Amino acid sequence: MSTASLSPTTGHVSVSRPNVVAVGTIVWLGSEVMFFAGLFAIYFTLRASSPELWAEQTAKLNFPYALTNTLILVASSFTAQFGVFAAERLQSRRTSWNPSRWGMIEWFYLSYALGAIFVAGQVYEYAKLVSEGVMFNGDAYGTAFYITTGFHGLHVTGGLIAFLLVIGRAYSVKHFGHKEATSSIVVSYYWHFVDVVWIALFLVIYVLK
Amino acid sequence: MKSNIVFLTVFAVFFALASAVYTVWNYLAEGKIEIVGTVAIGLSAILAAFIGFFLNLVNRSQGGILLPEDRDADIDDADPELGHFSPWSWWPFMIGVGLFLVFLGLAVGIWVMFIGVPFVLISIVGWVYEYYRGNFGH
Repeated sequence: MSTASLSPTTGHVSVSRPNVVAVGTIVWLGSEVMFFAGLFAIYFTLRASSPELWAEQTAKLNFPYALTNTLILVASSFTAQFGVFAAERLQSRRTSWNPSRWGMIEWFYLSYALGAIFVAGQVYEYAKLVSEGVMFNGDAYGTAFYITTGFHGLHVTGGLIAFLLVIGRAYSVKHFGHKEATSSIVVSYYWHFVDVVWIALFLVIYVLK
Repeated sequence: MKSNIVFLTVFAVFFALASAVYTVWNYLAEGKIEIVGTVAIGLSAILAAFIGFFLNLVNRSQGGILLPEDRDADIDDADPELGHFSPWSWWPFMIGVGLFLVFLGLAVGIWVMFIGVPFVLISIVGWVYEYYRGNFGH
């Protein structure tokens, strides 16, 4: 039984309802903030307990290399956003090679490539650091370094898979509609979040040391 | 949604203040900053501000109109679209089984992961494309 008034005060107004997928994604990303809060807390606690170790081990970090890698990841956020603009005008494919006429697919491929370069760059950086004696099972610094950047790297890898999945969705439909656009947009939310987390990690690990 | 935004803003301000008080108090009492609490409480402020900020954007983009179901309807009236949830899909279960094998592999031996990872990948693809193929192709 309904207790609602039979004659609502306003007549037929068309209301646009919030997109629950987008809101749900943001709430989930809020929980991810707290996940990374734990990682930052680990890093800072270990750092406060052994400053000499930090001074010794952070000297091995290659700042220009990490900065380049960071800029690549930040660039991928911008290309992902251009993909979102394309998705919002429901354009999945390019109409010419001119980037202003690219669709979501092209921009997301580009973002994927940039993100993949970032992950590959991290793998190389890890290999180099291990050869210089910064090890996951070596000391507190190694643990803190690899667990923070490693969990971030796993998130980036997950984002790369998500890019491929939404690109596949765009290919599999005849008409790129709002449902497909929504999945592209929430993947970009995730990507921006991961990007912002990396900027924080970069500042903490490579700048603040 | 208005009240959600107000609540989240209040939380954000509260946690920001609490983080500052916590930091200063620790410094006065112990002579050093206790970083775990500062980071955790500070990022709680960011958590609340982040969701509040997004809801504010959503509220603005839909014109700040109070939805009929928020105004005078029962929950089961004027059901808004809550999203698309498959009533019969087995894929989430398959993803669960795959992830179980992956984490089991972390615990008992890496070789279990070699079985689990392809399971997860196949299940995720199956889940994401369940409504994009066969009968549901569009």
